[in-house]
Amino acid sequence: MKTILPLAICLIMGIMMVFQFFIPHPVSQQFNSIINQWVVVLSAFALVLGIGNLTSHHIMIIKRKRPGWQYSIVTILSMFLMAIVGLFFGIDEKSIYQKIYLNVLTPLGATMFALLAYYMTSAAYRAFRARSLEAGLLLGAAFVVMIGFMPIGKFIHPRLPDFAEWLMRIPNMASQRGILLGVAFGSVATALKIILGIERSWLGGKE
Amino acid sequence: MNFFKSLTSINRRVIYLVLTILVILPFFLRFHIPQNIMPQTQKLYDFIDALESHQNKAVLISIDYTPQTMPECHPMAISIITHCLKKQIPVIGLSFDPQAPGLAIEALNTVVTKLNSQATSKEDSITYGEDYVYLGWKSGRIAALMEMGEKISNVFPRDYYNNYTDSLPLMQNIKNYRDIAISIIIAAADYPQEWLMYAQARYGLKLGAGLTAVMAPKYYPFLQTGQISGMMSGMKGAAEYENLLVKSGYTSETGKAETGMNSQILIHLWIILLIIIGNIGYMALRRKKS
Amino acid sequence: MSTDPWIWIGAFLTLMIFSFLFRDNPFYKFAEHLFVGVANGYYIVFYWHQALKPNLYEPLKAGNFLYVVPLLLGILYFTRFIPRVGWLVRLPIGFMIGWGAGISIPANLQAFIFRQIEGTVVTPQSFSKGFEGLWSLIILIGVICTVIYFFFSTEHRGVLKFGARLGIIFIMLGFGASFGYTVMARVSLLIGRIQFLLGPWLGLIK
Repeated sequence: MKTILPLAICLIMGIMMVFQFFIPHPVSQQFNSIINQWVVVLSAFALVLGIGNLTSHHIMIIKRKRPGWQYSIVTILSMFLMAIVGLFFGIDEKSIYQKIYLNVLTPLGATMFALLAYYMTSAAYRAFRARSLEAGLLLGAAFVVMIGFMPIGKFIHPRLPDFAEWLMRIPNMASQRGILLGVAFGSVATALKIILGIERSWLGGKE
Repeated sequence: MNFFKSLTSINRRVIYLVLTILVILPFFLRFHIPQNIMPQTQKLYDFIDALESHQNKAVLISIDYTPQTMPECHPMAISIITHCLKKQIPVIGLSFDPQAPGLAIEALNTVVTKLNSQATSKEDSITYGEDYVYLGWKSGRIAALMEMGEKISNVFPRDYYNNYTDSLPLMQNIKNYRDIAISIIIAAADYPQEWLMYAQARYGLKLGAGLTAVMAPKYYPFLQTGQISGMMSGMKGAAEYENLLVKSGYTSETGKAETGMNSQILIHLWIILLIIIGNIGYMALRRKKS
Repeated sequence: MSTDPWIWIGAFLTLMIFSFLFRDNPFYKFAEHLFVGVANGYYIVFYWHQALKPNLYEPLKAGNFLYVVPLLLGILYFTRFIPRVGWLVRLPIGFMIGWGAGISIPANLQAFIFRQIEGTVVTPQSFSKGFEGLWSLIILIGVICTVIYFFFSTEHRGVLKFGARLGIIFIMLGFGASFGYTVMARVSLLIGRIQFLLGPWLGLIK
C-alpha cells in the first residue's frame, strides 16, 4: 500500500498526461486545464515546505547553541520581519517591502555573484594550462571569442568578429546540439522509467 | 628560473586589485568604441520593429532574472520595454522566478516614468492597464506555461496589484497565446527551454530571448532551427540593443550596458594576459623538468 | 554622495560581502545570514499574495470545491514531519512526478529531438547559398561525433574511436567559446556593483 499506491498514482498521471497531449477533444483539454491549475497550487505548497525546513534547521542550531548560532538568530529575525512587513503593509512599489527588496536583498545577492569575477580570474590564471592539443584548442577558442566579441576585436583584424561568430554558430552549435540530443534522449528514457515504476528513487526510504 | 616560477605564482590580492582598478578606470576615462551588432540581436530587434500596433497583439515579456544577474539583464528589459511602448505595442509582463518581480516593477516603472516625462499629449502617455500590465509571479511554471495557451487569466486571475486580470482594458483583447505576437524571456536560468517545450511546441508561440552570457552558447541550436526568433547575449547583447534603439531614434542615449562594455574590454585583456603569463611560466618550468 | 539612507544600507551591505575577498569575517557572515533570512521572508509573502491566495483561497471561497483536491494533496506534504504517517508524502510527490514525467515525453520529443534533428539534416537547399552547404556538413559531422563521444555502451574502437576523437575537438571548441562568454558574464556582475557604488552611492559617475 505504502509503495503500490504512490506508484499507481505516478503511472496513471504519467500515462494520462502523455495521451492528453495527442487528444484535442474539449474534455481532454479541460482535464489538462484542471490539472495545470492544481499543479500551480501544489508547487506553492512544495516551496512552503522548503521554508519550513530552513526555519526548523536554524531553530535547532539556536536551541543546541551550535557554532555560529548567533547568526541563525539574524536569519530567523530577518525572515519574520520581512514576512510581517510584506503580509501586513503591502507589496506595491512604494512599500517598505519593495524598499527592503531593492536595498537589502538586491545588493546582497548581486555582490555575492560579483565575487565570482575575482575567483574566475584567479582560477583562470592558475588552472588554464595548454597541456595538450585539446586544452590548446579550448584556450584558443576562448581567446578568439573573448577578443572577437569585444568592440576592439575588429581593430585587431577586421574579420575577427566574424570568425568568433562562426565559432559560435558552427562548432559550438554542433557540440551543444550533440549534448542537447543526448540529454533529451536520456530525459525521455528516465521519464518512461519513472512512469513504469522501474526508477523508484523518488519514493525514498526503505518501504 | 625563479623568474618563470614567479610568473606562475602572482599573489591573488594583486590580481584582485588590478581587476578592481580596471573596472573603475573606464568610468573616468570615458572612451567609446563602436559596437558591432551580432546577427541574433539584430533579428530580435527587427522582429519587434516589424510589429504594428493595429495588429491587436501584445508582446509578452517574461522577466525572470534575479538581482545576481541584474547588470546583464536589467538593461535588456528596459530596452525591450522601451522599444515596444515607443511603437505603442502593448506589453504584458510576468515572472516565474520568485526574485524577479521587484526588478520587473523597477524596469517597467523606469521606462514608463521616462516616457511619460517626454509625452506631449495624452495619446503619447503610458497608462497601466491600457498600454501595459504586470501580472506578477506564479508557481508551477510548466503548468502555468501550458495553461496560458488556453487562457492567461486562468493562471493569473489577479495582476500584481490585485486587480482582476479580466477587468483590465488591455486584457479584453488578449486571452491566450494566439493574441501574443512574441514572448521574450529575459532569464538567468533555463526557463527558455521550458517555453520551447511547453509553449512553442504545443501552441506555436514565437519566442525571443535575453540571456546571460553564460547561457547564450546553449541556445545557438534553437536559433539555427528558428525556434528562437532572436536573442540578446549578456551585457554585450544589451549594449547592442541600446545602440540599435539610439540609431533608430527611439532613444537619445545608450544606457548602463554600453557604459559597462568599456570595462569589459580592459578586463578581458587582463585575463588573457594572465593566462598567457601563466602558460609561459608553466611551459618554461616543464621544459626545465624534462 | 547620496543622502538616501536606503542607498547607504545597500552600499554597506555590498562592502560587507566584498570583505570576504580578504578573508572570512563576522561582517560577511552577518550579511550572508541576513540575505538568507530576508530572501525567505520575501518568498513567504510572495507565495501567499501571488500563488496561494489568488489560486487556492479565493476559488475555494467562491465555492469551487474542486480545489479541495490540491489543498489536501498540499497538506499531505507536511506529513513528512510526522513519522507514523510520513509515507503519505509520497502521494503528492507521486502525483507531481507522474505529471512531470508524462508531459515531458512529448515535449522533449517535439521541441528537442525532432526539431533539432530536422535542423541537422543536410539537404540540397543547404548548398544554395555560398558556403552554407559546407557549414551544414560540418554541423552534421560535429553533432554525430559529439554523440559518439558520449556513447559509452561500447568501447571506442576503429571508426568509433576516430569519431570520438573528432567529437572531443568539437566539444573543446564549444567549451572554449562558452568560457569566453562566461568571462563576460562574470565580469558584468562586478561592473554592475561598481556602477552602483560609484554612481547612486558616491555620486562620482552619472
